[in-house]
Amino acid sequence: MIVASPAREQTRARHPDESGLVERDGVRISYEVYGSGEPTVLLLPTWALIHSRHWKMQIPYLARHCRVITFDGRGNGRSDRPYGGEAYAIREFAVDALAVMDATATERAVVVGVSCATLWGVLLAAEHPERVAGAAFIGPAVPLAPPLPERTVYPVDEPLDTDEGWAKYNIHHWLRNYRDFLAFFVGKCFTEPHSTKQIEDAIGWGLETTPEVLADHDAGIALPIGVDFGQLCKRVRCPVLVIHGAGDRIRPHAQGVALAEATGGQLVTLEGSGHLPQARDPVKVNHLLQDFIAPPEAKVRRWTRGKSRRKRALYISSPIGLGHAQRDAAIADELRKLHPDLEIDWLAQHPVTAVLEARGERIHPASAYLANESGHIESESAEHDLHCFQAIRRMDEILLANFMVFDDLVREEQYDLWIGDEAWELDYYLHENPELKRAAYVWLTDFVGWLPMDDGGAHEAFLTADYNAEMIEHIARFPRLRDRAVFVGNREDVVPDSFGPELPQIRDWTEQHFDFAGYVTGFDPQALGDRGELGYGDDERVCIVTVGGSGVGAHLLRRVIESFPEAKERVPDLRMIVVAGPRIDPDSLPRYDGLEVRAYVHDLYRHLAACDLAVVQGGLTTSMELTANRRPFLYFPLRHHFEQNLHVRHRLGRYGAGRCMDFETDGPSEIAAAISEEIGREVDYRPVERDGAARAAALIGELL
Amino acid sequence: MAVELTALPREQTRARYPDESGFVERDGVRIFYEVYGSGDPTVLLMPTWSLIHSRHWKMQIPYLARHFRVVTFDGRGNGRSDRPTEAAAYGEREFAADALAVLDATETEHAVIIGFSLGGQRGLLLAAEHAERIRGAVFIGPNFPGGGSPLPERTVYDFDTDYETAEGWAKHNRHHWLRDYRDWVEFFISKMFTEPHSTKPIEDAVGWGLETDAEVMIATMEAPDLSPEEARALCRRVRCPVLVLHGDQDALNSVTRGTAFAEQTGGNLVVLEGSGHAPHIRDPVKVNLLIREFLESLP
Repeated sequence: MIVASPAREQTRARHPDESGLVERDGVRISYEVYGSGEPTVLLLPTWALIHSRHWKMQIPYLARHCRVITFDGRGNGRSDRPYGGEAYAIREFAVDALAVMDATATERAVVVGVSCATLWGVLLAAEHPERVAGAAFIGPAVPLAPPLPERTVYPVDEPLDTDEGWAKYNIHHWLRNYRDFLAFFVGKCFTEPHSTKQIEDAIGWGLETTPEVLADHDAGIALPIGVDFGQLCKRVRCPVLVIHGAGDRIRPHAQGVALAEATGGQLVTLEGSGHLPQARDPVKVNHLLQDFIAPPEAKVRRWTRGKSRRKRALYISSPIGLGHAQRDAAIADELRKLHPDLEIDWLAQHPVTAVLEARGERIHPASAYLANESGHIESESAEHDLHCFQAIRRMDEILLANFMVFDDLVREEQYDLWIGDEAWELDYYLHENPELKRAAYVWLTDFVGWLPMDDGGAHEAFLTADYNAEMIEHIARFPRLRDRAVFVGNREDVVPDSFGPELPQIRDWTEQHFDFAGYVTGFDPQALGDRGELGYGDDERVCIVTVGGSGVGAHLLRRVIESFPEAKERVPDLRMIVVAGPRIDPDSLPRYDGLEVRAYVHDLYRHLAACDLAVVQGGLTTSMELTANRRPFLYFPLRHHFEQNLHVRHRLGRYGAGRCMDFETDGPSEIAAAISEEIGREVDYRPVERDGAARAAALIGELL
Repeated sequence: MAVELTALPREQTRARYPDESGFVERDGVRIFYEVYGSGDPTVLLMPTWSLIHSRHWKMQIPYLARHFRVVTFDGRGNGRSDRPTEAAAYGEREFAADALAVLDATETEHAVIIGFSLGGQRGLLLAAEHAERIRGAVFIGPNFPGGGSPLPERTVYDFDTDYETAEGWAKHNRHHWLRDYRDWVEFFISKMFTEPHSTKPIEDAVGWGLETDAEVMIATMEAPDLSPEEARALCRRVRCPVLVLHGDQDALNSVTRGTAFAEQTGGNLVVLEGSGHAPHIRDPVKVNLLIREFLESLP
């Protein structure tokens, strides 16, 4: 498997409230503190191959309930990388932990460690019982049971004439081909299928240190600590939890069993899990840790007996792209017509909440805990460019954090129905943890299938196929988890492509697993009003240029503005109105006489419905709005955005709508020419159905 | 009441029978107890007002006994325990002393107590005055005099005046009890279960109520409750973890009582929306799970 490491850290779901450095013997250790609850949880560093980001799936969740401290172990992350094995002795890590506790005024903490962090974790618990309130160990690497047989074949520090398999766990090989070793070792850490993201992350962290540091660290761990480890375990008095994957190919499950026995701790075996379940099965591990840490419960709780419950639905509307808000609100309205006693709560975030609040919808207060998704997507974009598949992959921490918010909420409050409109976190983690389903569940989407972009090459094709395969396996294994899957569109809107090698055709599979609601516009085209009302005369032809609510579109706006003089020459009665939107400063855009640049246009959709031409990006909502209103339009799909380039383009092609432009090749002249050809043109689009929201609501309402 | 309810003459088949049972005697009054299971900790299911006896825990015993050791006893005045007729025998401290005698007889060093309704008062005495034997306390719909307010409809008539009417809460009156004990029992129990479709719990409880009589119940009424000041002072002495469960539709004992009780003991409160006075009978699954969660959270 080829796995690339990302160069820069992905957006975090939660940033530390405090961070700093402690120095011991000239070695600086970087720590972070999150949250302020009780008790404090100290997430320990493990082998220097990875650093504190390996806790990224735990921090946002635990920090909502407890106070969380992490630190980078010496040898990686933002901590120093001293030379020599002695700097990496087991006791050094225990003393670093105490130093971090002192620096953060932490008297006592529950310590949690992965793999060889168990060595210093046990040392801390045994020798400093007054500072350790409890200890949880995941995939512990402890000398209490023999290692895996395949790891006893080759010596670590002698030159070998092979680098096959575990012969790669050899210092000479590390120095020759560190990356090859990382790919092998991290591959063994994640024996679970479909772990590409976790593998990619860990290799990336591994590349932040050097083989020399790992060699020193290995030597340091081998140094004696002056006491027998088994004896040390017996001295541990605090509660102990051991979590060990039965499929761990780094450290045998027997070591976890032995540790639980030696410490009198509780053992939880994760069947099918590998060495780092905190990264691969974060929901389960988070719940286990939370139960173990046991932060104080809410003083007052409420439970409503079944028959006394109001009929309630929780609507989770994706904030990626603004389009979902309008259609989800329209579906909710239709749903209330069918079930007038239905209460709908929304778990949503900006910008969706802005639309919902304006309509008087009830945003659940837990929404405030959601990590920002649209901000992340924006941070992943470049000049008219959004690698949307990678952007969503690089959102795994945020998605998990938001799933945990959802899960906390539905534990406390009862709903009859969950509706997820492209709520990826909900659909993915429910299939990964099917026992957490506790209401009827509807999945809505307007596209099916992750598709590779041509310039992504074989690697991207491999990744998208892997994501598709995991989704297909999820549905095949748990076919009743989605009580209903609704495709927002028609059969023919599904792309005629394959999910990947040896995988089904997307359209065949979607027909088998989805119901089709038709397109949901979220408005009634009859009620849009006329040009005169909006201030447009009969003697002018109006072209509106808009790029939605994000900052991604500034480059497209500039390009279109530059076409204005030539377009005006070709179309003398042209009136061009450029809508900058909330994230683009209108003053940062070029000006021409006669060109109107506005920061904001109230009821933009009405203007789009009345214009003679629109120039837009390739997003589904706006382009389908224009299609439904039978307006001519030019659309520029964002580069590397597979949904805009493949799924939306296919759908618009079916409707015969819009003229697809290419940001790469279409300059101001090409745009001016296209404007003059398209403006005011009579269109022969396939009509867009108006009953989509009602049809979707009917499909959903059957579950209530 | 719309439904004609008759009390069953014999006890229905139990889901679980005690592993041990016996009597303790205090001042000539014999108290019947039962022990189920052998886990840890021991859970002492306290008696409530003598109108009903220990069978009101029937939905808890089989479940809790699979995980913990469970001890129940019939409060004096009902079940298989004696029925003294003098009021002094029914003071709150007598019930607390009975509980200690049962703990001794069953060699139970310490226990978690669970009290329903009036069980809140005798349970509070134990938790405050015998802290070394009580590891935790759960109170369900507790009759707590130290805070909250009485239900307005229960303040209209007093117990001793002989009224011309026997409508509604006017039935809660010694003269009416002597005239038509069953009528009052049926009225009172119907108020215990405000949840729709509660025929079986009502039938059960009426049946238990008919196992004692008006004379005994009048004696229990003449025994004094804890005073508000006493109750508040006792709360301040409680050190063990406390969980209060209270239905917001409780028509015998206002939810404000349970709220105040949780506040004054520093305990946690779970408000059961739509529940009446006896959720452990009417919503046994939820209450069982809450009890187990509490027991497992104890240090």
